[in-house]
Amino acid sequence: MGFKIFQLFLNLDVILLINLSRIKRENSSRFDFFNIQNMPKSFKKPQRKAFVILHFLLFSTFFLHFQSASAADGKSLFKQNCATCHKPCDQKLTGPGLKGVLSRVPSADWIHNWVHNSAGVLKSGDSYAKKIFDENGGSVMTTFPGLSNADIDAIIAYVDPGDCPPATAGPSKTEPGTGGENTGETKGGLDPFWVLLAVTGILLILAIVLRSTKRALKNVVNEKQGLAPEPDRTIWESFKHWCENNKRIVAVIILYFVCVGVKTCWYTVKDIGVYQGYHPEQPIKFSHKIHAGDNGIQCVYCHSGAEKSKTAGVPSANICMNCHKGISETANPGSKEEIAKIYYAAGWDPAKMAYTGDQHPLQWNKVHVLPDFVFFPHSQHVMVGKVECETCHGDVKKMTTVEQFSPLTMGWCINCHRTTEVKMEGNKYYDELHEKLKKKYGKQPITVAKMGGLDCAKCHY
Amino acid sequence: MGNTKKYWKGLDELNNNPAFVKQRDNEFNEYVPVDQFLANTNAMEESSTSRRDFLKFLGFSVTAATLAACETPVTKVVPYVIKPEEITPGMPNWYASTYFDGHDYCSILVKTREARPIKIEGNPLSKISQGGVSARVQASLLSLYDSDRFQSPQTGKGTEITWEKADSIVKAGLDNAIAAKKDVIILSSTIISPSTKAAIAEFTSKYNAKHVSYDAISYSGMLMANKNTFGHHHLPTYRFDKANVIVSFGADFLTNWISPIEHSKQYAATRRISKEKKEMSKHIQFESILSLSGSNADERHPIKPSEMGAYVIALHNKVTGGALAVSGKVDDKVVAETAKYLTDNRGKALVICGSNDTNIQLVVNSINQALGSYGTTIDHMTPDFTKKGNDEEFVKLCEDMRSGNVGSIIFYNCNPVYTAPAKLKFAEALSKVASKVSFATRGDETTPLCDIICPDHNFLESWNDHNPRKGHYSLQQPTITPLFAPRKGAAHNSNGTRQAQESLLLWAGNNTDFHSYIASNWKAMFNNAGDPLTFWNQSLHDGAIFIEGVGEEMPEHKKEEEKKETKHDHKKAGAVAVAGAASEKHENKKEEKKEEVEDGMKPDLTAAVAAIGAMKSGSTEVVFYESTAIGNGIQSNNPWLQELPDPITKITWDNCITMNPADMEAGKFNILERFDQLEDAPDTAIVTVDGVILSPLPVFPQPGQAIGTIGIAIGYGRSNSGRVSDGVGENVYKATPWINNSIQYTATASIEKGKDTYAIACTQTHHTMMGREIVKETSLMAWMKDEKAGNEKETVVHKGVVTDPMAVNLWDDFDRPGHKWALAIDLNTCIGCAACVVSCNAENNVPVVGKLEVRRSREMHWIRIDRYYSSDMSKAKGKADHLGKVDTYRKMEHASSANPRVFFQPIMCQHCNHAPCETVCPVLATSHSGEGLNMMTYNRCVGTRYCANNCPFKVRRFNWFNYTGNKNFQDVNPGMDDIGRMVLNPDVVVRSRGVMEKCSMCVQRIQAGKLVAKKDGRKIVDGEIQTACSQSCPTNAIIFGDLSDPESAVSKWHANDRNYKLLEETGIRPNVAYLTKVRNTEMEEEEGGKEEKTEGKKENKEEKAHS
Repeated sequence: MGFKIFQLFLNLDVILLINLSRIKRENSSRFDFFNIQNMPKSFKKPQRKAFVILHFLLFSTFFLHFQSASAADGKSLFKQNCATCHKPCDQKLTGPGLKGVLSRVPSADWIHNWVHNSAGVLKSGDSYAKKIFDENGGSVMTTFPGLSNADIDAIIAYVDPGDCPPATAGPSKTEPGTGGENTGETKGGLDPFWVLLAVTGILLILAIVLRSTKRALKNVVNEKQGLAPEPDRTIWESFKHWCENNKRIVAVIILYFVCVGVKTCWYTVKDIGVYQGYHPEQPIKFSHKIHAGDNGIQCVYCHSGAEKSKTAGVPSANICMNCHKGISETANPGSKEEIAKIYYAAGWDPAKMAYTGDQHPLQWNKVHVLPDFVFFPHSQHVMVGKVECETCHGDVKKMTTVEQFSPLTMGWCINCHRTTEVKMEGNKYYDELHEKLKKKYGKQPITVAKMGGLDCAKCHY
Repeated sequence: MGNTKKYWKGLDELNNNPAFVKQRDNEFNEYVPVDQFLANTNAMEESSTSRRDFLKFLGFSVTAATLAACETPVTKVVPYVIKPEEITPGMPNWYASTYFDGHDYCSILVKTREARPIKIEGNPLSKISQGGVSARVQASLLSLYDSDRFQSPQTGKGTEITWEKADSIVKAGLDNAIAAKKDVIILSSTIISPSTKAAIAEFTSKYNAKHVSYDAISYSGMLMANKNTFGHHHLPTYRFDKANVIVSFGADFLTNWISPIEHSKQYAATRRISKEKKEMSKHIQFESILSLSGSNADERHPIKPSEMGAYVIALHNKVTGGALAVSGKVDDKVVAETAKYLTDNRGKALVICGSNDTNIQLVVNSINQALGSYGTTIDHMTPDFTKKGNDEEFVKLCEDMRSGNVGSIIFYNCNPVYTAPAKLKFAEALSKVASKVSFATRGDETTPLCDIICPDHNFLESWNDHNPRKGHYSLQQPTITPLFAPRKGAAHNSNGTRQAQESLLLWAGNNTDFHSYIASNWKAMFNNAGDPLTFWNQSLHDGAIFIEGVGEEMPEHKKEEEKKETKHDHKKAGAVAVAGAASEKHENKKEEKKEEVEDGMKPDLTAAVAAIGAMKSGSTEVVFYESTAIGNGIQSNNPWLQELPDPITKITWDNCITMNPADMEAGKFNILERFDQLEDAPDTAIVTVDGVILSPLPVFPQPGQAIGTIGIAIGYGRSNSGRVSDGVGENVYKATPWINNSIQYTATASIEKGKDTYAIACTQTHHTMMGREIVKETSLMAWMKDEKAGNEKETVVHKGVVTDPMAVNLWDDFDRPGHKWALAIDLNTCIGCAACVVSCNAENNVPVVGKLEVRRSREMHWIRIDRYYSSDMSKAKGKADHLGKVDTYRKMEHASSANPRVFFQPIMCQHCNHAPCETVCPVLATSHSGEGLNMMTYNRCVGTRYCANNCPFKVRRFNWFNYTGNKNFQDVNPGMDDIGRMVLNPDVVVRSRGVMEKCSMCVQRIQAGKLVAKKDGRKIVDGEIQTACSQSCPTNAIIFGDLSDPESAVSKWHANDRNYKLLEETGIRPNVAYLTKVRNTEMEEEEGGKEEKTEGKKENKEEKAHS
């Protein structure tokens, strides 16, 4: 962390130095209007640049971590194949906990056979197989003929020593940390804004000190040359003095600020009702990053409506339960409490591993809200238009709390319709129309707009 | 007029007090009491709020409001905890089910979104309703979300109790009745459900109870006649599709009579003409009121109800050559012509009669026998079971109740206190019964007199099975969890509703739920149908099944009893002097060769004819009819139906007295043919039928009404039935007479002019086409000669040359390579039933606005059925009579009162390619799509109403209020409360105040349909996408499709020689095409009409040339 902050400072310094040097240069040509106007522009939002660089640095470290995580082969195999029913510790799930499994089973070969064909082993009258069959409520283990012996051994190598959440310090532990810094919101630490403020403060003090030093030095020089000493002005007085001497510059600066003010007002007013970047807190701290990003769950696994219906839909609690029946806790701190909220909603008793029927519907905060007078069909865009989810929703895989990526304004929709080419090949619906349009437009791309994609009644009815 | 509290704030409004009118017409009350406040110096001085403080508060609140507006609103999303497998949020699920309310039967498909029904469509797999659906069936959806429904068992006075307590009270009542050796009665409307019957049988065997069927609209007389002819207490199945000639005596078979949806389908099949099929049926109607069926007839003859018998007998004589005594005057020429049509088409002719008089029906049966209709146009081997109400048993029950023989009575789906004739004094008789139980789902006139109400589920919440006809079965499955399910919890402690059959079974000591009860019943019933589970699942999936040969109405063990009863009944009928002698005479014969007699027996008609001859006639005769919307009144608390304009009178939210304008003149009634809705109100009249005095009803001029008759719709004048229906109109059930052992719907009456006027809400005050070519009509003869007959194309003069209007273009056309959606409407098969209107309401979240707003012409329907009458006056006639233009036009406004021709024309947004509305919108809220749709973007609309001003079809609707949020509409608008809002289609925006709206050609369905095709990677199949109106049309008169596909049905209709577009000559190029109406008349077009047309065209040309 210390290194990162150092890097940050370094970068900020570089940026500020560049800017300062520019100011100096521009000051020398006092009446160069364009340069003067450029001056403050280069100052605009230095934070943003700092962000970019900061992010770059953070991502590079993140990727380093990620690579080290994927190295553990047994663990990923375990997660893919076994985690729905087994835990890598003592705790029992649908199946027994697998910590110290090697010491329990008759032989390593037995495990290979069992995983490849558990029913067969059971049929052969194996006494240990019978024992675990009875112990686990008489449910037969799913067979994995696709796993090689080496794969199974790798899994055993991972689970046998155990990987219980409080005890282990796996690389995954750092993941929430990086996630937090990514958005700069959910996690504590140093906020770049305050860093910037501190730096600006220091620089200001520096400037004041330098100014008095300069004056002192100049006085010394003046004294030597026999000139009158510099008048002892306060900063404010010298500023006024400067303003009086540079009325044109002042006028231009005032004009500039007026223009910027009007422009800002205009865009602020235009953005009323546009909630780009809106990312409300949700009743459950559900992380898209963990689910869609780390675990690579497809968007439509949960938002199945996107392919069939107008609405992509918020998944019902039973979709969560498909996986979370088995996963009641992860290495992420607080996960147990959050997952318990799903159990409460779905009416699931994790102790008895059974539904109680006592359901409590979840009330999520809607992120993407379209006005009632707009009809936006997801399935049209996903299935027919073959638009990727990310095009409108951004890189959800990296969002801990999901945010509204696009402005969802009519202009945004229209612009996309104007530029997007219709994927007509292979869809017989478009055959006849395609021929006609080809004749009309020749080699021009056939966009949605050219097929009536700008008609009001496409979305408003 | 019943209760007037709803629509009149006081007599001021009723009397149109000028001050009141001024205030009322001011939509936004601008009066703010500033002066009063400022003048009150005391109040000003005492106020501790200084000006400075006030400004501070003002500033603070403005800032607070501004800041609050900047905050991100948090929207919650609550997913399922355990998502049901079949539900994908955002996608509809369809379930097959059945609608049967004891009156209308229809096999339906229910569209549900997130497990709540939002739309009803017809089930194409049903052999009865064949995918058709009526306005009433469509609207039944809204009855589900009626917050006036009972949500808990309760006493008649409205104290909610638990089910345990209700059960114990009911059981005690039943036990007491048995202990006192008194009858236990279940009184219900016709039940066609085998399982319900079995449940009732279980109950009746436990309590030795009796089940009496009683229908609000009785077919008792007809059933008796059929029993005399065929020995079965059944109605036959009618095959209008096999008939070349249809003669109807007062039977409104297209809206109400027996199986109207099926009849409409069949009728339309005979009326549809094309290049390949150049025949159409001949429809002749004899009737008193102008019914929907009558208005579609090729020939219509207004007769008085008392003359009907004479006409039927005269026709019988002509057809059979018999010489039965005809009492009364008959137009021999008409009868002879009608008889000729019939006898020329033996085996392809059908005579029907809407009378509930056994004698008349016997003669009609005899005519049909002589014409060989049985086995051809009448399928009497497939009896219909939907009308089984027995008036005699009902009257006997009343007597038993009065004499104190009934100890307990259970009402199931019937409301006799409201529907029974006043003469029977049902309410008084009911007070003598110790234990009274009702299964009513919502309050009605009977429930306050009951001890306990055990509310049943709505039909969309419950299981049932139906056997409407021999061999035809359909299942009814729940499409939503009961809205008022028993709920235990601190916040909402509801005891909920319970299915009536389960209640009966429970009281009989059987705890089975009705679902498994039906399942086991079906297992027993269809033991030959293969694997029971597969059969059940298939039946449930299809909704309606037909099994040849299966389907005795009763379960096997009941059959013997039924047979005994039949014999017994015969004796009774004999005593009743109908034609008993005849039937007894034939009884032996019948027993011997029951199966052989295809035609039924030929009873002696002398007794019947004598009885007909003895029928009373009067100077004023009244016909009580079912209106298209309200029907028998069972759904009168349904705002969609209340606001649905009657196709003939175009009146909403009321019933009225329809009277021929000639009679009105004679009776000195003020005829307001074209009236200003807000200023003028019709006169009222008081009708007295056999001592029963009806409260004053408005008198409405009805061209075509038989002279000396009036018509009043039943089903109105409800009390205690809910916010919507209470006090709307007047109940006339009470005036229905009891003649010849059955309840009749015609009577002699006296009429007296009332003192007041009564404002009505009529959606079309303009009656005729004023010589304009809005509906184009021709005769079959003319059309066969020239397919363009009656459809002369409009021309315009452009640059001095007479050209086709399509050749002249004010705009530069832009290239539209994709779809081109269009509608086509065949005016020949449109019967004006208004199913499309309700369907559109449901699909597009069209708000209900209430009577007062309709009077201000602010109804919101996106589709309307315009109805025009023909006029005696034409431009040519006016010229010949030297009337002058103003007088000519004034006279043209009046429909020919004796017997006008009637035209129906559905009008929705015509989606003009050069739409006048689009060019005037200052904010581009309405524009044209690349696919030919005239789009309306609500969120862009600022409500200038320029578009509505510029629309030549007046199909644009402006939201004057926020109908879903404004408290003034809570009594009429279904979208008001949380329950009512569930009916809204989530695929269509609910429009807010200040926004223009109109038909979108169901663009949500187009978008959904295109997406399905795109996902499947295939072309759109023609007919795959349907608008709400085209899908619901029971006669398939509206079709929707893609004009860019030359093979589509809509393209073919657009290319048809009968095709024309409204106001085509103005160059607006509508996307909706109409096909000329063709009437099966031999008459050539009247000369006057032709001249008028050519002249009109000339004028047109002149005008064009001028401009």
